[in-house]
Amino acid sequence: MNKKLEHSFVEELEKNQNIVHKVCRIYTNNQEAHNDLFQEITIQLWKAYPKFRGDSKFSTWMYRVGLNTAITLYRKRKRSITTEDFSSFQYKIKSEPYDDTEEEQLKLLYKAVSQLNDIEKALVFLYLEDKNYKEISETLGISEVNARVKMNRVKTKLRTILNP
Amino acid sequence: MDELDLLKKDWKKDEDTKYPKLSYNELYNMILKKSSSIVKWIFIISLLEFTFWLFISFAFKDADFNKRFETYHAENIMVPFMVLGYLILAYFFYRFYMNYKIISATDSAKILMENILKTRRTVKQYVGFNLIYLAVSSFIVLAIKFNRDKEVISMIDSASSNGEIFKIYAITIIATCLILAVAIGVILGFYYLIYGILLKRLNKNYRELKRLEI
Repeated sequence: MNKKLEHSFVEELEKNQNIVHKVCRIYTNNQEAHNDLFQEITIQLWKAYPKFRGDSKFSTWMYRVGLNTAITLYRKRKRSITTEDFSSFQYKIKSEPYDDTEEEQLKLLYKAVSQLNDIEKALVFLYLEDKNYKEISETLGISEVNARVKMNRVKTKLRTILNP
Repeated sequence: MDELDLLKKDWKKDEDTKYPKLSYNELYNMILKKSSSIVKWIFIISLLEFTFWLFISFAFKDADFNKRFETYHAENIMVPFMVLGYLILAYFFYRFYMNYKIISATDSAKILMENILKTRRTVKQYVGFNLIYLAVSSFIVLAIKFNRDKEVISMIDSASSNGEIFKIYAITIIATCLILAVAIGVILGFYYLIYGILLKRLNKNYRELKRLEI
C-alpha cells in the first residue's frame, strides 16, 4: 500500500519536476539554495501527498504546495538569502545567440524580480507560467479580484524598480 | 507590459532542456531523507529522558531513604560511580548528536545506510548501558546497606547467632533480583515503546534504501 503510494508519487514527481525547478528558480539565486529548496519542496509534497485527492491535477497541486513551501517554510528558515547577481546562476539558456541589449535587459528583469517579496514573486511566477487569474487565485488562495489587483501592483512595482 | 512579456519569452525558452532532470532514484532518495528527523527525535528523547531522571533524583533528594543513605557516608563510592555514569551518558548524547549531524548532512544513500546502522547500534548500547548501570548501582547500594546500616547490621548479627544468616542473605538477594527484574521490565517496556517505534521506522527506511542499492 505504502509502496504503491511512494511509487506513484515519485513517478508523478519525476514527470512534473520542472515545476519545482521553476519555483526554485524564482525564489533562489544560486545552485546551492536551488537544491536546498528543491529538496524542501519535494519533502513537503511527499508529506502532503496522502491528502492529495486528485480533485485537481497533480501539476496544479504541485504549484500550490511548491509555492506555499517557498513562501512560508523556506522564508522562515532562510531569512538571510543574499541577492547575488543573477548572472552567477548558470542555466543552460544559451542555445541560440542572444541580442546583447536583450540579454542585458533580461538580466535587469530577473534582478528586479529577485527584489520583489515572496508573494509578488509567486504572482510573477504564475504569470510567466501562463496561468489565468482564476488559476492564480486558486493556487494562492485569494479571490480573483484580489489576484488582478495584486498583479497590477506587481507590474507597477517592477516598472518602478526598472525605471527609478 | 513589454518587459514581462520579454521575461516570459525567455522563461518559456528551452523549458524542457534547461532545468536539471533528476532521475527516479534521486527523487526517491529525497523522500527517504526522513531518516534524519527520526534520528533527531532519538537525540531529543534521550535528552528529555536524562532531564526526567535528573528531576527525579532532585525531587527525592530529601526523601527519607536518601537521608538515611547519607548517614552511611558512602560518598567515596557513590560519587565516583555517579560521575562515571554521567560521563558515559554525556558520551552517548554526543554520539546521538553526531549521528543526527551526519545523517542530516549526507546525500549519499550508502552513508545514510551506514549511519542508520550506527544509530541503531548506539541506541542498543545506550539502553544496555542504562540497564546495566541500574543493576550495578542497586547491588552497590545493597552492599553498602549490609556494611553500614546499623539496623541491618544488628539484624545480621542476631541472625548469625540464630544460624539464619544464610536465609537473610538469600531472601534479600532474591528480593532485590525480583524488584530489579520488574524495574528492568518496566524500563525495557518504556524503551521498547519509544525507541522501538523510532528504530522500526529507521529500519523501514533502511530496507527501502537497500532495495534501491541492488
